[in-house]
Amino acid sequence: MRAESRWLELGQMDDAARMDSAVHRLDPRAKILVTLAFLVVVMSFSRYTLSALTPLLFYPLVLIALSRVPLLPLARKLVWAAPFALLVGAFNPLFDREPMLHLGGWTISGGWISFANIGIRFILTVSAALVLIATTGMHRLCAGMERLAVPRVLVAQMLFLYRYLFVVSGEGSRMVRAAQLRAGASALSLRVYGTLVGMLLLRSLDRAERVHQAMLARGFEGSLRRLDAHSFGWREAAFVLGWLSFFAVARVWNLATLLGSAAMRAGG
Amino acid sequence: MHMADALVSPAVGGTLWAASAALTFYSARAVRRQAREALIPLMGVMGAFVFAAQMINVAIPGTGSSGHLGGGLMLAILLGPQAAFLVMASILAVQALFFADGGLLALGCNIFNLGFFGAFVAYPLVYRPVAGDGASAKRCSLAALLASIVALQLGALGVVIETVASGITELRFSTFALLMQPIHLAVGVIEGLATAAVIAFVRRARPEVLLVVPWPVSRGSNRLLFGGLLAATLLVGGVLSWFASSHPDGLEWSIFKLTGGEELALPDDSLHQQLASLQERSAVLPDYSFQSAEAEAEADEAQAWPAVSAGTTVSGMVGGALTLCLACAIGFILRWQGSSRRAAG
Amino acid sequence: MNASALEVSDLRFAYPDGTLALREVSFRVSPGEAVGIVGANGAGKSTLLLHLNGCLAPQRGSIHIAGEQLDSASLKSVRRRVGLVFQDPDDQLFMPSVEEDVAFGPLQAGLPMEEVERRVVGALQEVGLLHCRTRPPYRLSAGEKRAAALASVLALSPSVLVMDEPSTHLDPRARRRLIELLGALAQTRLIATHDLELVVEVCSRVLVLSEGRIVADGPTRSVLNDEPLMLAHGLERPHILQHHHPHRD
Ligand SMILES: Nc1ncnc2c1ncn2[C@@H]1O[C@H](COP(=O)(O)OP(=O)(O)OP(=O)(O)O)[C@@H](O)[C@H]1O
Ligand SMILES: [Mg+2]
Repeated sequence: MRAESRWLELGQMDDAARMDSAVHRLDPRAKILVTLAFLVVVMSFSRYTLSALTPLLFYPLVLIALSRVPLLPLARKLVWAAPFALLVGAFNPLFDREPMLHLGGWTISGGWISFANIGIRFILTVSAALVLIATTGMHRLCAGMERLAVPRVLVAQMLFLYRYLFVVSGEGSRMVRAAQLRAGASALSLRVYGTLVGMLLLRSLDRAERVHQAMLARGFEGSLRRLDAHSFGWREAAFVLGWLSFFAVARVWNLATLLGSAAMRAGG
Repeated sequence: MHMADALVSPAVGGTLWAASAALTFYSARAVRRQAREALIPLMGVMGAFVFAAQMINVAIPGTGSSGHLGGGLMLAILLGPQAAFLVMASILAVQALFFADGGLLALGCNIFNLGFFGAFVAYPLVYRPVAGDGASAKRCSLAALLASIVALQLGALGVVIETVASGITELRFSTFALLMQPIHLAVGVIEGLATAAVIAFVRRARPEVLLVVPWPVSRGSNRLLFGGLLAATLLVGGVLSWFASSHPDGLEWSIFKLTGGEELALPDDSLHQQLASLQERSAVLPDYSFQSAEAEAEADEAQAWPAVSAGTTVSGMVGGALTLCLACAIGFILRWQGSSRRAAG
Repeated sequence: MNASALEVSDLRFAYPDGTLALREVSFRVSPGEAVGIVGANGAGKSTLLLHLNGCLAPQRGSIHIAGEQLDSASLKSVRRRVGLVFQDPDDQLFMPSVEEDVAFGPLQAGLPMEEVERRVVGALQEVGLLHCRTRPPYRLSAGEKRAAALASVLALSPSVLVMDEPSTHLDPRARRRLIELLGALAQTRLIATHDLELVVEVCSRVLVLSEGRIVADGPTRSVLNDEPLMLAHGLERPHILQHHHPHRD
């Protein structure tokens, strides 16, 4: 079932985030800023751009390599996430038949090029987001967001959301399993569903109440103070400046074409 | 339905990020004002609940189909619109990060489509009036059903408008809308039935849970809410009309009609012009020509594509392939170095 | 004049739905004493414990911690001195990693970073969990969760430790480790539990709670050996005592 495998995936990302590497150790703010810049740069290319986008693949690949997070789970997620974008993009070749490229005897329409462009964009933006979370982890990401002036309420409850995802969904899946064993069907009837999800809801409300008591018992007074060993030092500055200049260069010059013509000059 | 990164243009993505960020700051302030410190763990655990509930499927009698809770409306009923909006935003952010649902660029769109419409439109303008004081079980169920349908229809319309306005796909507005709206009517009904079933249970088991959100919310925040609504409507309307006016042939996106250096026909309106100039500066719709001279390609390397010539095309392809190989090679080398250094150390 | 670590007098509490959970509960505990609280399900144990650091406010009667009355003015200082370990460690371990969770209390108390770090290491060492420092709580076994929850309270160095059912869901080895740990602590301890053998091994004194009242208060072995009393209040004589020779007590 999809849902079950999703929890496995969540765990894998969590494992990846708890590895240790130079990339993991960077202040999360640096990674957030670079990721945002990367996304804006990718987005800013025209929809018929193909080759000029390829150098940007360096960013996720280099980070994956340096951080040594496992590639396979990330790739699998990329495949899972693909259908909607590709489905919508698949209309392009249908509607946009204007010839755009002549390569030998072949004519390629603008629709196919923009379709391929959607594919590359998709790979770039999704892998950047996955790399961010796989090398940072939810709790460091939250700390970074808080220091980047994201409202505290949002960040604090997001931490709780992530923490209790595992608890509440475990509770939920046990209840569903019990109901399914008795009902024999995989989807629940509306009545059973209402009772089961309603029970889960009430239990979650009680849980929230107990968590709040546990917080009060340890001196909580409204604001969440956290351990945060990160600081924005020269490593972070170098990371941010380095990548930003690479993105700028890749935005202004088509590095792939330059490389290609250099290679062809050298070859021919 | 999640809006996807690959389909969003900078202008649309940026606009909706801005709208969602504004709503987030407004909601965070409103929640802080409520000064209910118990609300923070409650919001978090409820977010986890919605996440878990989205994985539990309900069978819809007589259809053979199944669906699940959307959550936005349920959260608004339990927590109030502002807190619900924040929780939905977090849920969508976690989904974007961990499951690559949608993605980060489209996160603004998704928060708007799935958070705003449910919490700030369907809940106060449909659910509350129809449910009334909550004394009648039938009215509560009807309210949940209607509000879910409204939220889903608006959300789907949001996806359509954002996709078409981004202009990355060739889909026409009418085609895409005809595809999306009926599907989301069905999804809305399923979600509505699921929500109504849960609410019916909670009403019987612990009715006080459904009464925690005071109504009306204090007048100040109401004004802010409606101010926000108005601003959002203007924003959406502005984007739409700009879009419609730049494509006079109905709402059909046909990029090839814009070739040959033709300027966009803009109404005399500063918002429109700003949007358009943002669009131009970020070069999502760069002018191009098919038979352009090599000279132009040379002059403007950044847009070598699609201002193509056979020469740049081939070098682009060769270069693209080389770049890919290089990127992979560097990846492998870095990894190999790292692990051997670790093995040595 | 006041040598007791904890004094509860004439405590009464009814939940909003009308359930009278505590009626006229009074007892005192001396510093360093380990007291077991036993009683059938719904006897009011958890309700009583929630009062001891102000999670619930008494509707009648009073609570004194080391002579200081628990009220809204003293709430903050009392919470620092009375550590409450909740029944479900998942409720207590709400932060993203074990170390952050253990650091939560000291950070809220505004301690300097070095002191926080010292406390985190100290508390984790005490419960033998230093190797799990950076793990997220949901990746811990039941026994480790229990230990982490205990560490998160010990990090505040409370003088009174209050625990609700600390040994549920533990396997025999983890339970044994917990018993040894609890026995070795120097703090005043109040332990509500259904695990009577744990009470026998850790506590010198036991309170029997039934329907919101204390029906027995005395040395562990003599109270738990009182078969009619135990049976009357939904409990039974622990096996560990049944096999003991009388002269050993
Ligand atoms: N939140 C609540 N609202 C209403 N009644 C409650 C609530 N919590 C507990 N009670 C009732 O108060 C009484 C005492 O409950 P309490 O949880 O203190 O018992 P306990 O001795 O801890 O039981 P157990 O051994 O099952 O943990 C019970 O009758 C219970 O039903
Ligand atoms: Mg209890």
